[in-house]
Amino acid sequence: MISRFILAVGLAILMVVTGTSSYVYLARHQSKLAVAPEKPTAATPRANAFTLPGTLYFAQGGAIYSLEAGRFHQLTPEQGWTQPSLFPNGTALLAVKQNAQYSDVYVLNTFGTVMRRITNNTTTSRFQSISDYHWSFYPRLSFDGGTVWMSYDQPKFGYDVVLSVWAMPVGGTIRQGKLWTNAADYTGGDAQPVPAPGGGIVYTKYSYGLDGTLSGQLWFTNRAYSAGRALTTPAEDCRDPAFSPSGTQVAMVCTYGKQLSELTIAPWSASTLGRRQTVISDQMVAQPVWAPDGSGLAYFAPGFADGPFQLWWLPSAAYTAPPPVPTPPATPGGPHNGPLPSPSAGPPPPSTARIEVTTNLGFDATSPMSWGA
Amino acid sequence: MLAVALSAASGGFAYFVPAAVLAFQDSGQGVAVRTPSPTSLLTPPASSSPAAPAQVGAFTVLLLGSDDDSKFSSDHVLTQSMILVRVIPSTKRVIMLSIPRDLYVPLSVGGTAKIDGAYSYGGPGAAIATVEQNFGVHVDDYIWVGLLGLIRLIDAIGGVDVVTSHPVMDDFYPADVFSSYAYDYQRVAVLAGAQHLDGIHAMQYVRSRHGDLQSDFGRSQRQQQVLLAIRQKAKQIKPEDIPSLATAIGSELKTSINVTRVGALLPLAGSLDDPNAITQIVLLPPYTHGGGPGDSIVPNWGLILPLVHQYFP
Repeated sequence: MISRFILAVGLAILMVVTGTSSYVYLARHQSKLAVAPEKPTAATPRANAFTLPGTLYFAQGGAIYSLEAGRFHQLTPEQGWTQPSLFPNGTALLAVKQNAQYSDVYVLNTFGTVMRRITNNTTTSRFQSISDYHWSFYPRLSFDGGTVWMSYDQPKFGYDVVLSVWAMPVGGTIRQGKLWTNAADYTGGDAQPVPAPGGGIVYTKYSYGLDGTLSGQLWFTNRAYSAGRALTTPAEDCRDPAFSPSGTQVAMVCTYGKQLSELTIAPWSASTLGRRQTVISDQMVAQPVWAPDGSGLAYFAPGFADGPFQLWWLPSAAYTAPPPVPTPPATPGGPHNGPLPSPSAGPPPPSTARIEVTTNLGFDATSPMSWGA
Repeated sequence: MLAVALSAASGGFAYFVPAAVLAFQDSGQGVAVRTPSPTSLLTPPASSSPAAPAQVGAFTVLLLGSDDDSKFSSDHVLTQSMILVRVIPSTKRVIMLSIPRDLYVPLSVGGTAKIDGAYSYGGPGAAIATVEQNFGVHVDDYIWVGLLGLIRLIDAIGGVDVVTSHPVMDDFYPADVFSSYAYDYQRVAVLAGAQHLDGIHAMQYVRSRHGDLQSDFGRSQRQQQVLLAIRQKAKQIKPEDIPSLATAIGSELKTSINVTRVGALLPLAGSLDDPNAITQIVLLPPYTHGGGPGDSIVPNWGLILPLVHQYFP
């Protein structure tokens, strides 16, 4: 009798364990589709972790981070911070703090402490309307450190809310600012102004083509409220311009109307963009930035198909032509007798492979990176 | 052994309970297609263009996306988005036709109005019948998703990667999903370029229309982009994910497709790989033009029907 009881209890326990196990087994075999990205600072760098030169600044989840010597540092709390841009002298950062209805540009020190707010896009109107708020995005400082370039949603008319490129003195207010571009109506407008070596700015203008397709084009202008000049065609659909440290090349992403964004570089000379070179054509690339020492390009792209955006590195050997192989001089004299001299082994060719620097993070791909020496 | 096998099966059953509940409640819903009303006399004449040859295993699904907030009673919502999707498994082709929500057509339930009202007046049956009688197509199934459903679906699959075409700026975006006042507005700025969108931002990208010169047409193009991104992400879904997806979406999804068929369609979604085999159609002018009653859009059936019958036999 007792043995039957023990058997029944044992069987019951076995059934519970089996049922629970099958449930847990199935639950564990879910795909990891919805796993939230880690905070960059949660990652422990390996002893032999890949390190990038200098200090790189970027945004994830409403916070600004830096990456220096293979280690991440969180500079701001997760409160809508995005689009960090280093001062040309490397002493401070411009950054955007985005709230539900508006965004403002701030000056931060390189440790993330707020030094100054330089726009005020809330409304103080007694009879405030939602349209009294404004957006400021993509702040960049001029080479001389005196002017802040940015995209700002003024002027706007009713439903027609577009970004235009503005310039304002870094120590002044938006009232001292000057409208630089005339954005096309109902397009989203003019975005991401970047000071060009030699003067003027390159920015992305969104406009409708003759076939009704809305696309991005890089434009150059060096006069306030002038039409400027298109650098790329609507069919290329390019955006996210970034100048090389030498000022002789521009990196950008172009979609050619597809749901891919190709990393493209082109020479820059006399305010003109030269022949395009597609460097990466099989990824969804965003926000390329040049290493300050010219050793390569960093960019954002998904780490796995359709996943969050990770940090990638492309060494310069991937987009620069290899040096010509020296031709050995002809052997003087007649036929050679004896064993032929074997060629000496030269240095190994530089790597051209792109490297996925992070694997489980989720960077804000609409936030340009900034890279200091 | 039998007891152990049964207990293992019961554990598996318990795991799939949320999916089973969704299956019984919201999928496999029969659709009563109403008898066309006398107004169907206004239906445009059938196209004289030859119909495409029969396509083995091909089927057509009407995707419906709705306001389902407190502005409307639960089963009388407008369909802000109507996309006719034809899948041809034999050639791995997909055709997506966005139907403008403001298209002025005879409704299957009677009268002539904007097509987004068909669902509101007669549910999915009326929406299907209205599309069938106006466009001269046969609809096999429908899928209806509410606003919250789309947000939850995208979040449940971990977001989608999209190259947003331009900055989507809107000062009058309806704040009706998570707001206590359904008629409120909020400001929206979805910046341009390649990015990983969560549910809320994907919804803002596909729903905003005030800042788009092409208004609903521009929005339709963005909806197709995100739909393709969801399809792309769906390739990674495993059967073990279905309960958590079902729990996340809840009653925000209704469909006439039964669970067995969903299982059969999952591998098919994974095989539709070639972007060149996906045809996206938006009925921009001259297929339509504005100026209809009540700010509606007037169809140019002489152009629309040959185009539709070319792809939807």
